Formats: sequence, structure tokens, C-alpha cells
Amino acid sequence: MSGENTSRAWRERLHGQTPPLPAGKTEADVAVTARPSDAPASKEEEEAAESGESGDNRSRSPSYFSGSDNDDLEAEWSDSVQKYGELFYLELSDNEEESLLSEIPVVNHVRFSENEIIFDEDYLREGRKYEPRLKKFSKILKSRRLLPKRYKKKNSNGPVSILKHQPTQKMGIILQQRYKDVSVFVNPKNAMVLKAKEHLKLLEVLLGIIHQTKWKKRTEGTKLVVHGLLPGGPAMKSGQVLIGDILAAVNDVDVTSENIERVLSCIPGPMQQEILYHYPMSEASQKLKSVRGIFLTLCDMLENVAGTHVTSSSLSLNEKLVHVAYWKEDDKLLLIGLPAEEVPLPQLRSLIEDVAQTLKFMYGSLNSAFCEAENVARLDHFFNLFFQRAIQPEKLYSSTCTQSYDASFSLFTDTLPGVQWLTLPQETQMEIDMVLNDLEAADFAELSEDYYNMRRLYTILGCSLFFKGYLICSHLPKDDLIDITMYCRHYCLLPLVSEQRIGHLVIWREVFPRHHLQPASEPDAQVFQEPEGRYFLLIVGLKHYLLCVLLEAGGCASKAVGHPGPDCIYVDQVKATLLQLEGVEASLDERLASPSNPSLSCADWFLPSSRDKLESLTSSPLLTKLQYTSRAITSPSSRRRLFSDYSLKTRKLSPSRSNGGFENGVEGGEGGGSSPYTTLDPLPKQGAKEAQSPGGPQASSTLLKVTKKKATLPNPFHLGRQKKDLSEKEMELFEATKLTSGTENTLFHYVALETVQGIFITPTHEEVAQLNGSIHSQLIKNFHRCCLSIRAIFQQSLMYEKKKALNVEGNSESPHAASSLSPVKEHGVLFECSPENWTDQKKAPPVMAYWVVGRLFLKPKPQELYVCFHDSVTEIAIELAFKLSFGLAT
Amino acid sequence: MAEDGTSGAVHLLCLAASSGVPLFCRSSRGGAPSRHQLPFSVIGSLNGVHMFGQNLDVTLRSARTEDTAVVWKTFHDSVTLIVLSSEPGCSELRLERLLELVFGAMVLLVGLEELTRIRNVERLKKELRATYGLIDSLLGDAELAGDLTQCVDCIAPGDGPLLQEALAGFAEEVGSVFASLVVGGRVVVGTEGWWRLGSPEAVLLPWLVGTLPAQAARDYPVYLPHGSPTVPHRLLTLMLLPRLELCVLCGPQPPLSQLEPQVLERWWQPVLEPLRACLALAPRAIPAGFSLHPDILGLLFLHLEQKRAFFTVDLGGEEGPSPRTRRRLLRSFYVLVTATHFPPGQQGSRLPRECRVGSPKSLAHVSLFSSEAGSSEEKAEEQGCPTGVPRACYVVSGAAAKGPEGREDPGAGLRLVAIQAGPRRLLLLVSPQSPTHALRGLATRTLHALTPFL
Repeated sequence: MSGENTSRAWRERLHGQTPPLPAGKTEADVAVTARPSDAPASKEEEEAAESGESGDNRSRSPSYFSGSDNDDLEAEWSDSVQKYGELFYLELSDNEEESLLSEIPVVNHVRFSENEIIFDEDYLREGRKYEPRLKKFSKILKSRRLLPKRYKKKNSNGPVSILKHQPTQKMGIILQQRYKDVSVFVNPKNAMVLKAKEHLKLLEVLLGIIHQTKWKKRTEGTKLVVHGLLPGGPAMKSGQVLIGDILAAVNDVDVTSENIERVLSCIPGPMQQEILYHYPMSEASQKLKSVRGIFLTLCDMLENVAGTHVTSSSLSLNEKLVHVAYWKEDDKLLLIGLPAEEVPLPQLRSLIEDVAQTLKFMYGSLNSAFCEAENVARLDHFFNLFFQRAIQPEKLYSSTCTQSYDASFSLFTDTLPGVQWLTLPQETQMEIDMVLNDLEAADFAELSEDYYNMRRLYTILGCSLFFKGYLICSHLPKDDLIDITMYCRHYCLLPLVSEQRIGHLVIWREVFPRHHLQPASEPDAQVFQEPEGRYFLLIVGLKHYLLCVLLEAGGCASKAVGHPGPDCIYVDQVKATLLQLEGVEASLDERLASPSNPSLSCADWFLPSSRDKLESLTSSPLLTKLQYTSRAITSPSSRRRLFSDYSLKTRKLSPSRSNGGFENGVEGGEGGGSSPYTTLDPLPKQGAKEAQSPGGPQASSTLLKVTKKKATLPNPFHLGRQKKDLSEKEMELFEATKLTSGTENTLFHYVALETVQGIFITPTHEEVAQLNGSIHSQLIKNFHRCCLSIRAIFQQSLMYEKKKALNVEGNSESPHAASSLSPVKEHGVLFECSPENWTDQKKAPPVMAYWVVGRLFLKPKPQELYVCFHDSVTEIAIELAFKLSFGLAT
Repeated sequence: MAEDGTSGAVHLLCLAASSGVPLFCRSSRGGAPSRHQLPFSVIGSLNGVHMFGQNLDVTLRSARTEDTAVVWKTFHDSVTLIVLSSEPGCSELRLERLLELVFGAMVLLVGLEELTRIRNVERLKKELRATYGLIDSLLGDAELAGDLTQCVDCIAPGDGPLLQEALAGFAEEVGSVFASLVVGGRVVVGTEGWWRLGSPEAVLLPWLVGTLPAQAARDYPVYLPHGSPTVPHRLLTLMLLPRLELCVLCGPQPPLSQLEPQVLERWWQPVLEPLRACLALAPRAIPAGFSLHPDILGLLFLHLEQKRAFFTVDLGGEEGPSPRTRRRLLRSFYVLVTATHFPPGQQGSRLPRECRVGSPKSLAHVSLFSSEAGSSEEKAEEQGCPTGVPRACYVVSGAAAKGPEGREDPGAGLRLVAIQAGPRRLLLLVSPQSPTHALRGLATRTLHALTPFL
């Protein structure tokens, strides 16, 4: 299994592969293209009939409850349920559909249907792995929805013959007079074994056709007359080759009794057997495939030499540097190659980890994902999306305002083990919590066990709710949340809902959440044991909402049999829950529209425009504004208390904890002229110096906000638990931040990752859009890029800590422990930038300097924080900023 | 070949590219040469994968495991060098530069022709033995940083002009433009010509002098990998004081015997005291009188255009990490800064400085270019974007300093800070007492104070 890919060639393929898409295609299009939405009516009917025939895998179909009032709902998506009960049903919003239709009318009719891919058994077992030609062939089969099983029927009906469309691809046997095209699957490897054993002819072994040269009549010459068929042979299985037929050509090569053995022996043998999966078919990718020996050898040998797994290697291919990441599971190796200029190595490493994790979530293991032949089409789709996300993320977002932001945003945040969280006013939060609790309780009439005197089908383990792409409520364990988020991220569901491009989305599939499927360490009666259940993911999207529900079958619910499809009742209830939440939407929108907390500055404000005089920088409007705001801040008594608290603390602690920053801030306040705190301690020299700079007052205003938050949240490290009982104080907090809204401070951007809950917080897209500035957007892009490299360093630190924890048991402190930088806990980079189009030749362009600082907190639980702020208060702001975002993480 | 079999070890393999015959293998563990070598099968596979790719037009450059890195490089289609390192914090930048330098060292002592046209492998193997000392010192823990920074490690003498004058006069008398004073691999003063030596010989020559066993005088044939890779020159060294050597690079003339004691005495007797002072200065690199902030535990100060650097951890401050650890920290930080944040493209104008050496006879044919940007540096990740040119960065390492009773102080980690100003770059290792917010100020002041020296 390998998903090698490089550069340009891949893109070409991508475009070639999905021709119906408009050039500026969006993520919704992709989803539509690849998954069923609606299809030409005639085919639909046919399928329905088909799935009715093979209805054995729908034993737990919704018919159980079909007496209830949901018949109308069933009609919408039930036709799209696929083999194994999987469902991906997407109905675009009206606007979206119209716009698409106007662009390209056919787009909604393009369709793959995965339930149609049923392979001939032989093919399933052996064919696919071996021979590229057959593989291609199978793809055509798939794309044309030709099922080997009912091949005969189709062919006799006539209209869809792939053989006529694609004569070069076939493995056909053409018979005389009325030529017949017959496709059979052959397995040369099998043939070799058989042949050696039984001294049979290839004709017999491969095709199952018996031709007796002795019986030859004069009129026949060297014609290959079918004298008999081997029972169970491919020819007989096809049902189209009859005794007396004449074999005219194999793969378009005319055959006679003289050349048949040679022609058949040319069918490629099992050359590629070690490759389970390969995507795409580009030139670069083929090249990588041809040197797979390198990867296999390296994987083997370096593991022996170094004692650790190979993680990546780099090679140049057509003058381009390509990084290849490795992921080993059991005896299988997953490789992903991407051009270095597009995807830096640290990012690639996290990408492959995500891929592996997502595939495991979807299929249980990499093995089952790649070894099941029927997954090929899904994997193609999966990796198509993957490469698009990796290389052209901007294409996945709509062309609306924040496009560039989205792309740079996803560059970094997609690598984070978390999901963007939107803090809400307590009241709203509570309302949502309650609605979701009701759903999770599953206490609706149809689900009550008494009602039907049967066990319920599923237990709802928990759910998480997204609004416009932000997580607003999650009742799931962190691992589940992250698994589900990765799935949503991969299929680009979050941006989809954020722009309300869907009318209705229902996704149902069996999943394998790692949290529940971890092997029990020790059988212990005291510890909760996960039941040996099966898990299903139900995602329902409605307008801006996306509700992901994790269901458990087995345990206290009844056991799942076969591959149950989505259950109407549950889908219905989830939908009802979403409808119930419509009332909250207004307050959510209000939250999104409200000024950010903490308030952000736009980088462009710190640069005088080219007309302005340079002096304006020093006597900046900022300063005056800040003075104004610092006066505007209320409740001096509380401030006094807080400040004295801090200065006390500062005296006790060593200055290295950067608490000096607070004192600076206070001094700055004095400089601003509005602070009454002249009784505080004299400051370190550094601080006094800082106070002269215009940054001082800004710091003080930031500080005030921070300390306030600090007061309401006494221990920022245990926010999770306090979340529930903070209501009043938190309201106060929201009031407070509203009060200071409109303040300019020096904070440009931030990302706070909280690994305990698997969430991160960063300004919303709406907030960033409000700070619309050319330099600012560049700055944010740079911020994200820088964060990526800072995070790569933190990853090393985390690994180092892990190793150290292991070493402690072995009591062997590495002699070099102190000599490498790890563990790095804080890393900052100072950037300078100037306006792009500086026209004034006489003066040098003004320069604005800003910091990007990342901080890693290891204890009690790993947390990461990245902030970007103006240089003027650099040293001061940092610690403030840390506190700031901890205040947020409630 | 278990885990501890290679941890902290560096293995360098040199093979003939065409035949795959190993020319030599050197190993070092924990900074010292080691006899432990990779099994032959591993050497074969390491070379095999590279060759296999080469045949299919795919050049394998590097591979990494969780704690080990391997880098391959073929020089002139003739010699393949492979380095496998499991040292903590081993980076590709370091390993790539190491390979360049190792090949440079091979050319320096054997000559390019011998390496590109291998006629007799056995003979070449024997000849390459001469390079072992130099290569081992490159693999191991050196007090210098030139192998990594590609800059010449220098010392700023107290009486620079005096020594410079003496050196220039002496060089003129013996008829060479390339002369320098070297203490323990660091250059004290050099003639103008000496500073124009290209890379890697500018780094390798002092390094070589530092690794050779002590001798009163030497006449050592060297090729200049950049300036004269096929025609050998003579490196004359004369020990003026223990560890302090006078180096002269010249053609066939003058014979060593011509450098009579009288000549030496004439030029160097008057500056004997400054010379002695240099010796004392050797590990500190900057004059004793020059005071640095006591929090600074080590510094690496580079001039990227002149390709010179000060690297010292001998700045007082008994507590804190050992000198060896300090050096390693600074080196790791240099790698981080160079590979991630300060891409080489923005070091200001780096004009290729050409110089025709004025020396009449032997060196007339040599035209020396200072090497253009280190090739491995070129592809360092992430080009600075127009709106974000990195100027400074710092790291707070969690590698906690040992407290008074050997307890680790969790709050205090060593700090490292780097700033870039024009062609100069300063990296400091700062003690945990120093507040984070003061780091940049400290670095800026230190950079200004150090600017006169470079």
C-alpha cells in the first residue's frame, strides 16, 4: 500500500480525473462528485432492485420501526445507503445548487456508487494485486458500474459494453461470425503453479478452454476451436463461451493454435504483488514506485541498525526534492511522498500520522483499509482529497473573502490534535448542553426499551456539535472527538457547514474509535471494561450545524448483526435536535459578530501609510487611544488588589519567570498618565526603559484585562472541571471584555491548544476578516508557517519527555541529555516587515517588528500556545498573552 | 546492533561510487573515535540503496529514524560518502556540511585527481589513511565550530595590529601572501591573502594544523580543495610557542630551510609578549579585558560574509553546564536557527570575492574564490517571505540546570538567543537567571560590543 505522489503530474491527473468539475472547484463539488447524491433515474431503479435482491446485509434495516411516522424522511436518503450500510448523503443548499447548475449543469449527475462494486471472487482474491492492466480494467468496471456478477445480464442487454468503449483494455475472447467480447480474469501466478504440477496447457489453465489439436478438422486449419470447457474455469464462469466457438483474439492479438501458448505466456505475471495500493498514476509516482526497493530496504535495515522506526527519507527526483514519510504497521508499510517545496517535512510527518489515524478510524486497521479490494475506489477518493488538501488547500475553500486566510490557517491548524473551539456565553452553552443531553439520554418513545420490549439498537456514547465549523459543544472523550474531527476535516465537512452550502447531510458508517477499542491492559473488575461492541458514526448536517453522534452497538444495546444501515429513528432524532437548536442560532451569530476576546490588533495600524509622516509612528494614534481606554476601564479597587497581588508574587519569584513583565506593565500605566499606582515597587531597569516606549500603556491595558480574567479563573490549569460552575463570574467576564472592546493592543493573533480536551482556540475567521489589512493577512500567513516549525520543535520535546519517562524506569540517564536543545519549552522568533508596495523612493519603508512565540506547557497536561504580537511590548506581553489564552480556554 | 550499539555514535563510510568498494570507515562515539564499526552487510545495503536509486535517476539524499539520521552524497561521480549519526540532536544540516568537509579533507591531503580517477583502489586506501586524523577530529567533539558554521574559528588578540604587522612583514620576506598564526586550530591573525582562501580550505587548514602532532616545523604538501584541487602546495608550519604555530602556504619556494631562526627571531622576538597573551586567550577567543554580561555562558559570533567566527564557552561562570554541554547546546541552536529561521538567502549581498594571487611564480595559476553560499545551506527550509524577515529568535530549553543540591529546578531552563544584524549573527547561551524578556536586549548590546572584533 502506498500513496506516493509528487508535484505537477499529480495535479494533471486530478483535473483529468474529475472533468465535470468547474476549474475553481470547491470542496462541496468534490464530495458530490465522489459520492452519491442523486443519479439518473433509470439507474437508480435498477440499483434499488439490485439491493433488494442482496438485502441480506440490511437485516437491521429501519424496517424495524417502520411503523412510525418517518416514512417521508426515509425516502430522502435511504436510496443512497450502500453496501455495508454506509451512507454519505449530501444535499446542497438551494443557493449552492443553483450556482452549481448554472456553472455546469451535469455536476449533480456525476456519481459513483460504492455499493455497486461487487467483484468476482477470483478477482477479489488474487486478481487486483497482481496486474496493473487488470487493475485498470477493474477501475473501468467500477466507473461504469459494471458488475462482474451480473455481467452477463448487462451485456446481453447491450447498452453498456466497456469492451466496445475500451478495446485496448480488455482481456477479450472474440468469437467468429458474430464476434463476442468476453472478459475473463486470469491469474498467471496461479497458472504457473498448476501448470508445473499437472503439465497442462496455458489455454486450459488460464482460460479454462480445452482445445484438442488432434481433433482438428481440415477446414479449421489452425483455428482455435473450443472443444471443451474446464469446470469452474474462467471461460465457463463467464457463461458466454460455448463449445464450438472459435477463439479469435486475446487482448487484441489474433491467436491460432500455434501461437496461443506464447500469447498467453506474455500475460504479465505477479510482478507488483507487494504493492497493495498505489495512488495516483502520475509519472513521478510511478518513478517512486519503481524505487520502492529503497524504502523497503531502508525500513528494514535502519530499524536493525538504529533500533528505531524509519520516519522519513528525502530524495531528488527530476531535480526536485521529495520527502517520503513512512508509517509501519505490522508487516505493512505506508509511504507518502510529497514535494518538499509544497510540504515541509514536519508537516508531512503529521500528515501521514493523520492519514493512518483516519484510516484506522474508518476501517479498523490499515490492513483492512488497504487489503480489501472493494476499498480501492474509496481509497482513491480518500487520497484524492488528501493530496488536494496537502498541496492546494486553497482550492478546497470557497472563493469568498477569507480564502488566503483559510489556506494558511489550515496549513498549521490541521496538524494540531484538536478542533477549533468557540467560547460561548454561559447561558447559550447551557442551553446547548441541555439539548444535547436530551438526545444522549435517548429517552424518546421509540427508543425506550419498554415500548417494543426489545433492547435498543444503539447506545449514544456522546456527541459533538459544530456551528459554522467551530466546535461549540462536545460530550465526547478527547480521543473520540479528535477521531471524528479528523474524519470531518478529511472530508472537508467543516468549511462546508461554515458557509451553509448544505441543505441536508447524513453520514453513517461503522467506525473504529481508538478510545474504545484499546485492548484492555488487565482484566480488572474495578476498572470499567469497554464492551465488545461495534461503533457507528452518525453525522447529520443542517444548514450551519453539524452534529456528530457516536453510537455503540453491543454492550447494553443489542448486538449489531451484519452491516446495519442508518437507522431512521436515530437520524430523525438527531435532526430534531438540530432543529431544536435553531433557536440558539441567533445568539451564536451574535457571538461570532461580537468583538473578539481578547481584542486583536491589525498589523497595518502599526505602519503609517505611505502618505503619513514618519513621526506619526512615534506619537501614534494608538497611544492616545490607549490612554483613553485605560481611563475607561472601571473598578479601580479590584485592580488595586490584583496589582498588589502580582507585585508580591513577583518579589517572591525569580525574575526569570518573566513576572517582571507585570511590573513593567504597571509602570507603563503610569506613563500613560492615568494610573494611580505610584506606590508600587521600584522597577528593574529594564522595565523603566520599556516604560518610555509607546508600548508601555498598551501593555497596561492588556494587563488589566488579563488580571481580571485571572481573578475569575483562579487556576487556569484545571479549567475543564470548573467550566460548569462559573456561570455568574463568567458572564461578568464576558461583560468585561465587551467593555474593553475596540481597544487596540499589540496582540495580532494567537492559537492556544489544549490537549486534555482536544481543542484549540484561535480568533475566528470572522474576527480575522474584520481586521482586514494587507500586511495583516501576510503576517498571519507567516505566523502559521512559523508556528509549524515551532511546533515541530515542540514535538521533539514531547518525544524526548516520553523517552525520559521510559528511561527513568530503566534508571539510565542519557549522557547527552543536556546537550541537545530538547526539551524546548519556549521558542520565539522576531520578524520584521515593511509594506509591500513602498513607492516613496526617498525614504526607507517603515519597518514593523513582531514576535511569534510558542510555548509548551508539559505539566500537568501538554498545552501549547502560539502568539503573535508587536515588538514594542515584546518582552512584557508574552506572559500576559499566555494567561490571556488560558483565560479563554474555559 | 542493539539500541545502545549505535546511540550517540557517528559512522562515516567512504566508498568508491562505481564499484562500491569501501575505501574507509570511521566511527566515533560520544565524541571520541571508536573502533566499533558497522557490519559489512549494513555498509553494503546503505550503499546499495543509494546506487539502486541512482540507476533509476532517483537520488537518495537522506533518511531519518526517530533518533538517527543518514545522509548520502556522491562527489564527482567517483566517491560516495555516507554518514549515519545517532547523536542527540543530529541534524541533516550538520551531516551534509560534515560530508562536504570530509570530502574537502580528502582532497586536501590526497588531491582531487587521485579521487576522481581511481586506478588502484588499494593504493588509494593507503593514501587515504593520512586523512584519518583530520576526519576523526571532524567527527568527534571539537572545541571549534567551523565544521558546522563553515566559518573560520578565530581569536581576537589583544594586540592585533602589532601581530598583524609582524605577520605581514614576515610573509613578505618569505615571499608568500598566505600566512597566519594559529593557536589550537583557531586563527589569531592572517594576511589578507590568507583570508581570501576559499571554503573549505580556509576552515580545513587551521583545523589540520590543530590536529597534527606537535612538531617544531613541518613542510606538508596540501591541495586546496577549492583553489587548487589538483596541484599541491606546501604548508609550512613553524612552532613559535607551544601550541602557537606560524603557517605559511607557498609554492616550491622557499625551502623550509630558508626560514632560518634569524628570520623568525627578527620578526617575532619583539612581539613575544603579545604572542604569549594569545596562548592564554586561546579557549576564550575574546580579550580578557572585554567584559560580557555574567549571565552569558557561551557565545557564537559569526560574520557570514567574511566567513569568520568566534566560538567560546569559556566565559567564567563555574556553575551551569559543562563546557562540552555548552558547546553542544550552541551547536544545536545554530543548526535550528540556520535550518529553520535564518535562511541563507537574506544574509545581505554576498559578492563572490575574486582574487588573483599576486605571488609571481607558483601561485599565479591559482585563482581563489571565496565560496559562494554553502550549498547545503541553500536548501534550508522556508525562504523568508517579504513581510516576515526573521531578525531574532530565542529558545528556552527545559533542560533544567542543576540546582545547588543536584535537584533540578523545573522553572529554570537555559536560554539561547540569536540575532542577526547585517552580515553578523550572534548566538548566546544564557543562564537561567536571565529573564526571557531581557534576552534580546542583552543580545543586541553584546552584538554591538563585539562588532569591532569582526
